[in-house]
Amino acid sequence: MSVFRSSSLAPEQPVLELCHVGRRFVKRRERNRSFQDKFIRLLSRRNVEQEDFWPLRDVSFSLARGESLGVIGPNGSGKSTLLKLITGILTPTYGEMMVNGRICSLLELGAGFQPDLTGRENIFLNGSIYGLSRAQMNARVESIVDFAELGDFIDTPVRHYSSGMYVRLGFAVAIHTDPDLLLVDEVLAVGDQSFQHKCMSAIQRFRDSGGTLLLVSHDLGSIQNICQRAIWLEQGLVQSAGQPTDVVMDYLRDQALREEQAERLRQAQEGARQEETEAGSTEAGRWGSGKVRITQVMLCDGSGQETGAFASGEPLSVCLHYTAAQRVEQPVFGLAVYHETGVHISGPNTQIGGLTVAGVEGEGEVCYHIPKLPLLAGRYRLSVAVVDGRNNETFDYHDRLYDFQVYPDGRGERYGFVTLGGAWRLES
Amino acid sequence: MLPVRDIYVLNTKATAGYPSLLARLRELWNYRELIRNLVVSDLKSRYKNSVFGFFWSLLNPLGMMLVFTLIFGVLTPNVKIEKYPLFLLCGLLPWNYFSTSVNGSLYSVVGNTNLVKKVYFPRAVLPIATVLGQLVNFLLAFIVLFAALLIFQANFSPWLWMLPLVLLIQTIFTIGIAFILSTLNVFYRDTSMIMDVVMLAWFFLTPVFYAADIVPQSLTVGGLTINPQRLLYIFNPMSSLINMYRDLLYWGYRTDLDFFVRTAVTAILVFVFGFWFFHRYADRFGEEL
Repeated sequence: MSVFRSSSLAPEQPVLELCHVGRRFVKRRERNRSFQDKFIRLLSRRNVEQEDFWPLRDVSFSLARGESLGVIGPNGSGKSTLLKLITGILTPTYGEMMVNGRICSLLELGAGFQPDLTGRENIFLNGSIYGLSRAQMNARVESIVDFAELGDFIDTPVRHYSSGMYVRLGFAVAIHTDPDLLLVDEVLAVGDQSFQHKCMSAIQRFRDSGGTLLLVSHDLGSIQNICQRAIWLEQGLVQSAGQPTDVVMDYLRDQALREEQAERLRQAQEGARQEETEAGSTEAGRWGSGKVRITQVMLCDGSGQETGAFASGEPLSVCLHYTAAQRVEQPVFGLAVYHETGVHISGPNTQIGGLTVAGVEGEGEVCYHIPKLPLLAGRYRLSVAVVDGRNNETFDYHDRLYDFQVYPDGRGERYGFVTLGGAWRLES
Repeated sequence: MLPVRDIYVLNTKATAGYPSLLARLRELWNYRELIRNLVVSDLKSRYKNSVFGFFWSLLNPLGMMLVFTLIFGVLTPNVKIEKYPLFLLCGLLPWNYFSTSVNGSLYSVVGNTNLVKKVYFPRAVLPIATVLGQLVNFLLAFIVLFAALLIFQANFSPWLWMLPLVLLIQTIFTIGIAFILSTLNVFYRDTSMIMDVVMLAWFFLTPVFYAADIVPQSLTVGGLTINPQRLLYIFNPMSSLINMYRDLLYWGYRTDLDFFVRTAVTAILVFVFGFWFFHRYADRFGEEL
C-alpha cells in the first residue's frame, strides 16, 4: 500500500493513477472508544466482534492531464470512498495511488467556514485550507466575490447567510483555486436553476481550459455531456469503462434488469401468498369466460431472448401462448400498453392490425413484433386479452399483469412517453 | 518512473520515520497561511459577544493574581516571598498558557470533525493553531506582567533578551504535548477526563504559587534517599520553564546555560515524539471521527 503525492505537476504524467486500490472498513458492533471498553474486552477475553466491509475492492484507472472522467454507480457503490481516497481523507488499505498535482474537491462546499467571520474573511480562510497563499488569494478575491453574487453580504458574518449563499460562496472559492484536478460530487444539485447553470458553465470552462476533471454524478446526462470517459463503479469494482455513452448504456441496462428481477421476485412472492390465502378464487386483474385462455406471455428482445428490460429504439416482441379446449371462431388478440402512472399509451389488436384469425383450437402462439420500440425510458405495464370479434365476449383478459422496463438508448430523447421518430430540418 | 524530486511518500509503513517526517514538516510549512488564518479566526470568535473583548486576556491574570495573593497570604503567613504578586505572575502566566493550550488541544481535532472528514489538509495544523492562539493571549498578558515589573520596580535583567527563547522552548514543548493529546482524544474520549485530574496534579507539582525552595532537598522513602526538588526539575519541564521565566523577570538573573540547554533538548524531544505519534495515527482520523 503506498500513496505518492506531489504538489508540482509534471505535465507528461497522469494527474491521477490508481493501481488495484482497495479500501477496507471494519464494522465493529460497538466501537471501543474508551478505556472502559478496552478493560472489559481484556477481562472478558472475548474476541472483538468485527466484520470487514470493502467499499472498494480493486479499482484501477488513470487520468491524464486535461481529461475528464465521469464516475457513475448506484448508492453505496464506493464512489464517495473513492473520492475520499483521492483527496487524502482516507488512505487505501492496499494498492498504489499516485496523485500528481494539487486537488480541489467540490465535495463539501463551505466546509470550514467560520460562522463569525465575514464572507471576505472566509474566502481567505477557505483558500488557505485548499493550500493557497495570501498573495494568491489576493489576486483572486475580486473574481470570487463577483462570482458568488453576494453583493453587500460579502462583508457580513456568514452566520447570517442563507444556505444558498453559503454554497455559492463555497463554490466560488473552490472553482477559483485553479486546481490540477477538480473533483465534483453532486454539488450541481444545490442552488437555484440559474446558479446551477453558472456552476455547470464554470466547470465546463475549467475543463475547456485544460483542467482535469473527475465528476461523480447520478445525472447521467451531464456525465455524457461533460466527460470524455466514464467508469461504472459497483460493489467496489469497475464494472465497465470507456465512452460515457456506452458505459451509461451498460449501467442502465443492468439497473433495469435488476429492478425487473426484484419486481418479479416481489410479484412471485405476492402471488404465492395470494394463492395460499385465496386458493381457487379467480386471480385479481384477470377475467373472462375461459373459452380461450392466454397461458403464457413472453416479452423478447431483438435476439429472441426473454427479458424484462428493453432499450428505447430496439426491437420488442410480445408472444401470447393460448389454449382453447374447443374450437373458437374469429378470436381477436390484443394488447394494451400503460405507463406506470396509469396513462394508456397504445392498444394494438389483431383486428386493427389486419390479421384475421379464422379460428383457434388447442395450443398456439400469437406474436406482436415492434421493430423499433418508440417508448422512452420508464416503467410500463402490459395488458393482454383475447375476445370474440363479433359480439365482444371476453374470453380472457389480463389487466396490467405484466411489467417491463425501458431504458434510454443514449440518443438523449427523454421528455414524455414516446419518441415520434421525426426529423428536424432547417427551412429557409 | 516517478521523478524522485518533489515526490514524497506518505503512509508507507516501510518508509515511515525520519524522511517522511521531514516531508510532513515541509507540507506544514506550505500550509502556514492556514495556521495563521485559524489562529486569527479563533481569536476573533473567542472575544466575540463579550463586552471586554481582548481585555479579558489582561483581566483574567489580574483576577487570578488577586485570588492567589490573598489566599497564599492567609494560608502561609510564615513563608514570606518578596513582591509576591510579581513572583506569582511570572509563574501563573506561563502556566496558564500551558494549561489552556493543553485543554484546547484535546478538542483541536475532535472539535473539527466536520473539516477533518471532508477536506484534506495536514492535520497537524489544528493542534499547532490551538497552541499558537494561546500564545497570542500569553503575549497580550505580558502587558500586565511588564506593568507589574514597573510597579514593583523589579531589577531588569540584562539577560531579558533570552525571554523569546524561553517562550520558544515552551511553545515547542506545548505543541509536542498537544500533538499527543489531540491524537489520543480521537481514539479515547476518556483522555479529556483523565487530563482534568492530571492537569490539577501537574499544577500543584509545578512551583507556580510557591517557590521551589520549599520542596525538601532530601526525603527518605523506604530506606531510599531522594531529592524531590531535583526530581521536580528533572521530571517536570514546566518547573524548569517557570524557573527560567522567574530567573529573567523576577530575580533579574540569567538562567544557567546547562539548565537552559537541558530544557531545550527535552522540549525538542517531546515535540519530535509528539509529531511522530500524531502522524502515525493522523491518517486514521478521517474514519475514526
